[in-house]
Amino acid sequence: MIENLLQALTLFHVALALGGVIAGTVIGSLPGLTATMAVAVLVPITFSMPPASALILMGAIYTGAIYGGAYAAILLNTPGTPSAIATTFDGFPMAKRGDGDLAVTLACLASVVGGIVGAVFLLILAPPLADVALAFGPVEYFWLAVFGLTLISALSKGNLLKGLIGACLGLLLSTIGVAEISADVRFTFGSEVLLGGIETVSALIGLYCVPVLIDLVATSDKHLKVTHAPKGFRLIEALQISWTHKFNLIRSSVIGTLVGILPGAGGSIAGLVAYSEARRTSKNSDTFGQGEPEGIQATESANNATVGGGFIPTLVLGIPGTPPDAVILGALLIQGVRTGPSLFAGDGSIVYTFIFGLILATVLMLPTGLVIGRYAYKTIITVPKAMLVPTVSFMTMIGTYSIRNSVSDVVIMVILGVVGWLLNRAGYSPSPIVLGLILGSIAEQGFVQAWTIGSATDNLIGMFFGRPIGMAIILFIAATFFYPMIRGYLIGMRGNPNED
Amino acid sequence: MKIDAITKLEKADISGMLVAIILILVAVLALWDTTEMTDADSFVFPRAIAISMISFCILFIVTQMIYPSIEGNDEARVVGGSTTRRIGLVLAMVVSSLLMPWLGFLVSGVLAFGSIMMLAMYDEWTLSRRLLFPFAGIVIVIGFYFMFAELLLVPLPVGTLFE
Repeated sequence: MIENLLQALTLFHVALALGGVIAGTVIGSLPGLTATMAVAVLVPITFSMPPASALILMGAIYTGAIYGGAYAAILLNTPGTPSAIATTFDGFPMAKRGDGDLAVTLACLASVVGGIVGAVFLLILAPPLADVALAFGPVEYFWLAVFGLTLISALSKGNLLKGLIGACLGLLLSTIGVAEISADVRFTFGSEVLLGGIETVSALIGLYCVPVLIDLVATSDKHLKVTHAPKGFRLIEALQISWTHKFNLIRSSVIGTLVGILPGAGGSIAGLVAYSEARRTSKNSDTFGQGEPEGIQATESANNATVGGGFIPTLVLGIPGTPPDAVILGALLIQGVRTGPSLFAGDGSIVYTFIFGLILATVLMLPTGLVIGRYAYKTIITVPKAMLVPTVSFMTMIGTYSIRNSVSDVVIMVILGVVGWLLNRAGYSPSPIVLGLILGSIAEQGFVQAWTIGSATDNLIGMFFGRPIGMAIILFIAATFFYPMIRGYLIGMRGNPNED
Repeated sequence: MKIDAITKLEKADISGMLVAIILILVAVLALWDTTEMTDADSFVFPRAIAISMISFCILFIVTQMIYPSIEGNDEARVVGGSTTRRIGLVLAMVVSSLLMPWLGFLVSGVLAFGSIMMLAMYDEWTLSRRLLFPFAGIVIVIGFYFMFAELLLVPLPVGTLFE
């Protein structure tokens, strides 16, 4: 192990890790460019490298891109990558009230902690944890999606019914296009443009960013409130907050690692589940969604922990845990590395050098993330509105186009933006719609597959309610739903000491 | 009684109810579309969602009629500022996107950038701004074009006019 550690610390590997983190952070910060795209675009560079070096570079790009998504989420209310959706919930309100620099630093610290926890799990517990991935069937995925949907109560901003209506709209939007299981064409009304469905990232950009732009262009007000001249990183303040909420960081990182292990789940679900748990257990649950630092910590630590978590099934089972892992798996196959249970025994030096390299890249993310984040914040608050609005509008357009090379996606993005703006005016928050849109396909696929298996085995009830992991998730769902009521009841029973 | 009804109507979330009515129509349209699907795997989920949406919308409207209250994100409900600029921004983005296949990404991008810059300008157009802002805009558009087309290998449209 020491030999692998030293190999990971060679100048070449340090340079690769640093370059990868910087490239990934920059690409991830651009709305529309996902971590998958960042890894896919830069993969050809790795073909001429030894496998361990290639893995370090790809891991660094991946982890940097996941973190980079936080900048746009915090400063522009646009998740740079889908993993940063829940970062917008508290990140943008923090930036609006003048704490954008603190939010960026908090996100950086949380990402580093999450990334390290994920990598340590990968180092120590990879083979046994890979079995967890195999224990997850369709019904568990269905309940996991439902668990994600319980966040609606937190995101409804005062009206649960409106949140539920918004989530239904999002779920309905997710069913547009060719059905994944039966291949029926649904809700396209003869339009070829809708055959591929509504692209999630372009919908995110539309629903979150376009309404901000529409309001930004309408008045001469500043984009973000500036309460103080940007000096330093506010690192001490961020460290104090992080230390105060250390259990939130660790819990969210573990959640991120475990969700990362599940093939296809990814950083967005990890962030949402961790956010939901952080809110449920926090003393400040009422301030979530209004600029609560704990919300940013939960999301950012969880989404970066999926990097290490996702590598567990990828390397141990040959099943990619997240979409970027699929690209990395392909690159490894081209290099002649056979992933699977024998990899840790046969090519252990490659794997362990890579894991130490991943930890190195995550640690390097701290200085690079802080510096890039500081300049991103300074740029956003100092650039004149006449430059900021067209630049961000142009970025949303080129970013959306680049996802599927489709002009139609850009038009759909703008239309969704206008719809989101109108719905916001009527008191409907865009977050439940986005939640439905993201979780819709996972929920439907899990539900239909579980239903089919349950019907075929004549055990429908047992299929949905008789599996241990499924039941554990159901308990969490119930706890998330009923905890605020129980807490309110208990507080009421104890009585308010300020009264009388 | 009549005064009571008027007071209730004033307190009710009219825009919220209007959206709920529109979404009921959307859900009915979705339900109607599912009747053409033959495979249960295709229609079970969307039907369940559409029916749920109709139920929640009706529940919301009924609740508002009985206990009228305007809740939700109050800050977002305030519509201040220039509507013309808002419409202008949306039109600039949509029109430049639609022109992209003909004019190419670079030209339509410059057009979009320029028009949105004009809409977002609240300061006086001094000589330095007249020179600096358009120049910076062109540099940004070309910079992004180069990054996406050359480095990230995204096939941005060249434009049929220039082929």
